Amino acid sequence: MDGEEVSKVEGETRRRRKGKGKERGENPARNRQQNNFLPSSSLSGCQIRTEVSKARWVEEIGMAQVIEKNGSLWATTGVIRNGNLYCHIEEIGYLAQIGALVLLDDGENVMGLKDIFTKCADRRYGCTWEFFEAYRDLKSLGFIVGRHGQPWSLKHDNLKPNSNFTVDTDFIADRIEELQIGAANLIFDIYKPNSKFKKTDPGAPSFIICLVGDWPPIRKEVEYLEEKCKLVPLKFCHVNHGDVRFFSFPEVSLPVLP
Amino acid sequence: MELSGPRWKGKNFAQIANSNPMSEIIAQLQVCLSNSESAALPIGTDFLLETVPELTKLLNRTSFGRQLTTSYDSKQYFQLSPEETFYLHHFLKCLKVSIDNAKLIDVNDFWNFMRSRSELFPIYYRAYVHLRSKNWIVKLGTKNGVDYVVYRHHPALVHSEYAVIVDRENDKGEKEGERMRVWSDLHCAVRACNGVAKAVLLLNVMGYEVNFNLPELLERTIVDERQITRWVPSQCRDDCKLEGNKGEHH
Repeated sequence: MDGEEVSKVEGETRRRRKGKGKERGENPARNRQQNNFLPSSSLSGCQIRTEVSKARWVEEIGMAQVIEKNGSLWATTGVIRNGNLYCHIEEIGYLAQIGALVLLDDGENVMGLKDIFTKCADRRYGCTWEFFEAYRDLKSLGFIVGRHGQPWSLKHDNLKPNSNFTVDTDFIADRIEELQIGAANLIFDIYKPNSKFKKTDPGAPSFIICLVGDWPPIRKEVEYLEEKCKLVPLKFCHVNHGDVRFFSFPEVSLPVLP
Repeated sequence: MELSGPRWKGKNFAQIANSNPMSEIIAQLQVCLSNSESAALPIGTDFLLETVPELTKLLNRTSFGRQLTTSYDSKQYFQLSPEETFYLHHFLKCLKVSIDNAKLIDVNDFWNFMRSRSELFPIYYRAYVHLRSKNWIVKLGTKNGVDYVVYRHHPALVHSEYAVIVDRENDKGEKEGERMRVWSDLHCAVRACNGVAKAVLLLNVMGYEVNFNLPELLERTIVDERQITRWVPSQCRDDCKLEGNKGEHH
C-alpha cells in the first residue's frame, strides 16, 4: 500500500475504534474491496472527472496533440511546440488511466487503454513500461515530471504549425538508443509541486531520476551519472513488477572525531 | 532516511562524550597495553587476551573486543576479532601477539598469518583502519545483517548511526566484491537498517590488488564512503507541498 492508502486505512481504523460514524457508509469502496478480496489499485481512488481533455495521436512525431484542453493540469503537463500543446505517451497513459484524457487516432476513433498501454511499452515513442510506471508514481503524488533534457516550451518561428517536428523525432531516436535494457538512463527532470511553475521558464529541476535496470549501479556508474547531472541531485529508480522504488547514493564523509 | 544527528542515550551524555575524547582514552590504552606482558593468542578465528583490571577497564572504555564472563576476580579475558587484534598490534603498535608459543615481532609475519586464514582479511582490515583512525567505535554488525556498526562514542552513551557494508573494486574501477549485487540486497539492507534508525554506509575499498603487502594496502587503496538511502516520494519533506494544483489530483 502507498502512503495515501495507509493513512486511509489508519483513519478508518481510528473511526471504527471510536465507534463514530456509519462504518459501512463511510468507505463503501474499501468495504467492497475487502468483501470481495479485491487487490488495492495502482492509483488510489480514480474519481469520475468532469474535466476531460481530448488529444489526437500523431504517429509521425510519436506524440499526441491536445485538441481540447480542460482543467488546470495542463500547466504542468505536456510540452509546447510552436504554440501548440503536445503530450508524450507516458503523460497520455497516466491521464487516460485517471480518466482525464480521451485519445483519438487520426480519425475520430477513441483509442482504448489497451492500445495506449501497449504504446507506452512500445519503446518506439521514447517510453518503456517501467518508465511509464515510474512516471505515474511520481505524477500521482503531485510532482512535476518532464523528460530529462527536453524543453517544456519551444518556438520554431520558421516552421508551419503542421510541419514535422524534427527536433522531437531526433530526440525520440536518441532516446531509443539510450533506453537499453539493463543500462542506467537519465529519464526525468522533477520539479517539486509548484503552483507558479512556468513552462517558458521552469528553472533548474529539483532532482533528476535515473532509471536503472536489472542490476544496482556500481560506484563508477553513479559518479559518471552524477557528473552528467552537474549539481542537480540524482535519484535512482528501480521498477520491479509495478513496485517503484527510489534510492540515492550520496557521497558522505564521516568526520574525524576528537 | 534523514538522520538528524547522533542519538544520545541520556540527557548529558553528549557532554560526557565531549569531555572524554575517544582519542585520549585510546592513548591511555596504548600506554597500558605497551607496558603489559600479556600477549594475544589465536583461538578459533579470533584472539584471546588475558588482562588485569586496569587494562580491562581501558579495553571496555575503548570498546575493543568482548569481555568473557568468568568467575575469576584477579584476571579477566577478552576475545578480540582479527581486525581488532591486528589494529592494536600494527596500527596502535601496543599489543603483543603470540603464535605457537613464539612472540611474533615481525608485523609482516603476522600479516601473512592473518592473510592465510582469510582471503578477505585485507579488505576488512582496510575498512576497519579507515573507521577507527577517525576515532569512531567499530563493532561487529551481525545483528543488523551488515559488516560493522559504528558509534560516535561509547555504545553505552550513544546509539550507532551507521550500518557499514564493505565492498571492493580493483584499480580499473571494476566491482569485485559480492555485496549489493542484486536489488534485493539493497532493499534488504536499507529495510533492516532503517528499522533501527541506522543509515547504510557502503565502504568501497578501491584499488586493491591481491599481491599488495601491508604498506601498499594502506597507501595505495582509497576507501570511498557512500550512503545508500531510500527516497520515499510520498513522505517528502515539509517544504514539498504535496497538495499540488487544485483539480489536478484526487
